[in-house]
Amino acid sequence: MKQSRSTRLILMLLQLLLAAAVLLPFFWMFSVSLKPATEPFAIPARLWPSSPTIDNYVTAFRPEFRTYFFNSLVVSLSTVIITVTLGLLAAYSFTRAQLAAMSALVGLVVLAQMFPHSAIIIPIYKMMRSAGLLNTYWSLILAYVSVTLPVAIWMLRGFLLKLPASIEESAAVDGATPMRIFWDIVVPLSRPGLIATSVYVLIVTWQEFLFALSFTSTKDMRTLPVGLNDFIGQYGIRYGELMASSVMVSLPVMAIFFFLQRYFVAGITAGAVKG
Amino acid sequence: MRQDRWLHWLLLAPALVVMAVMLYYPMLGTVYESFHETSFLNPDPKFVGFALYQRVLADGTFYTVLLNSIVWTLGVVLLQNILGFLTALLLNQQLPMQGVLRAIVLLPFILPGVVAAILWRFMYDPQLGLVNSLLLQVGLIDHSIAWLADSRMAMASVIVAAVWKGFPFSMLIYLAALQNVDQSQIEAATLDGAGPVRRLFDVTLPAIRDVVVVNIVLTLILTFNYFDIIWVLTKGGPQSATHIFPTKIFETGFGQFRFGEAATYGVFSILVLALLVALYAIVQGGANRRRAAA
Repeated sequence: MKQSRSTRLILMLLQLLLAAAVLLPFFWMFSVSLKPATEPFAIPARLWPSSPTIDNYVTAFRPEFRTYFFNSLVVSLSTVIITVTLGLLAAYSFTRAQLAAMSALVGLVVLAQMFPHSAIIIPIYKMMRSAGLLNTYWSLILAYVSVTLPVAIWMLRGFLLKLPASIEESAAVDGATPMRIFWDIVVPLSRPGLIATSVYVLIVTWQEFLFALSFTSTKDMRTLPVGLNDFIGQYGIRYGELMASSVMVSLPVMAIFFFLQRYFVAGITAGAVKG
Repeated sequence: MRQDRWLHWLLLAPALVVMAVMLYYPMLGTVYESFHETSFLNPDPKFVGFALYQRVLADGTFYTVLLNSIVWTLGVVLLQNILGFLTALLLNQQLPMQGVLRAIVLLPFILPGVVAAILWRFMYDPQLGLVNSLLLQVGLIDHSIAWLADSRMAMASVIVAAVWKGFPFSMLIYLAALQNVDQSQIEAATLDGAGPVRRLFDVTLPAIRDVVVVNIVLTLILTFNYFDIIWVLTKGGPQSATHIFPTKIFETGFGQFRFGEAATYGVFSILVLALLVALYAIVQGGANRRRAAA
């Protein structure tokens, strides 16, 4: 649709306004993270420090932070691998099998996506306690796999439904077993779906807070979100360090998102728009 | 075929077992817990019937939490969807830099929730925060406001932070829907002399109606259950002014080790959420019938 010149100008101003509203808090986070501890805060706020420094990053990258980072990495990557594997196997059967119970099972997957985490956390906590898993990686990985699995199945199901049936059918005619079709045809073809789902699971687990706060009790098991929250009280309002830590926590997921944005956007919208 | 059936059950089994043990069983477990009392001193659960329900209902905090949850959910859902839709409309226009702008708009959505909350805590800081600084400079306020410590401002403040974080998600879904709208219909309406506003209400909105419904239900559920922002910004305070079900459940369960009462709040939260979704379904159904009749 072609716009008139004045409409176009107004729309471009709106674009600018939108970008500014979204970016201002980010810009400030970054600017404060570069502010030397000696430079005072002032009203009106100074948007850019007079002598920027990376001191805050150096201080914030303390041993505890590195431990939290490592814990987050272990828990998130394990969750991504397990969830996506289980999700793909299930999604394959959900889209290819002709089972009588199928529509009921799909309903159970959809319903499970809506369970409030806070409403089921107490029985899960007690199960972890009985199993002796509290304050271990496994308590978090198990919890994260279960809460991300329904959405992962749903996203992968959307992708598998869109694969052309003819390729698999002709392979079946040539005598390929279902397992062979799965490995040689379905897995390679669903790569975009696997990437999109992995990014989604990573973003969710990297920031998960409620389970991590409830299931970990010692500093050596904390993940980044909980560790970051601890920093607030611990170091008073040393905002420079807090903002530097925040930037370091956010960078990995942002970087991954930017490289794989295309897949992720397709994955998120496929379920909602077509489903 | 028979063999295939076994194979498919085998592939489904791991996912089904995980969901049964870690989601459906705990869901029933919450109901069980709500009939059993535990405390820090008496960790062994004891059956108490409906006693915990009576205790929760007799406590004024419950009604504060209920009201807060509704205000919070409706506030965030409405603002986030309106803002998300308007942003999607803008991003759907033929303008330069749209790809870059979309990536920028998505930033708050990828930002970890705790980071977003800490950032907004800092933005709202009465002495150092950017919000007061900007409003003072523009002249909208004449003295610094303690946004999160003032019980009249706290809820509005957490809602604004949550909308900033959440609207990109709604935008993404609306944008995908807008890109799927049949362009020939819009062109036909234009030829009939319909202006942009008429086209929006007569062609675009009816075409994406299902996506609007999905988006609202989705954000309703996500917002109702969202814990991170409020916990980091206010911990439910001041004086429970921002306590919603998830923060109250966490505080009761893991702050005070009253698992039974926390589970009772959990059961209530599920009922209230189901009621909100059902109410929306009724309103939406009514609107659809009126439209069909018209």
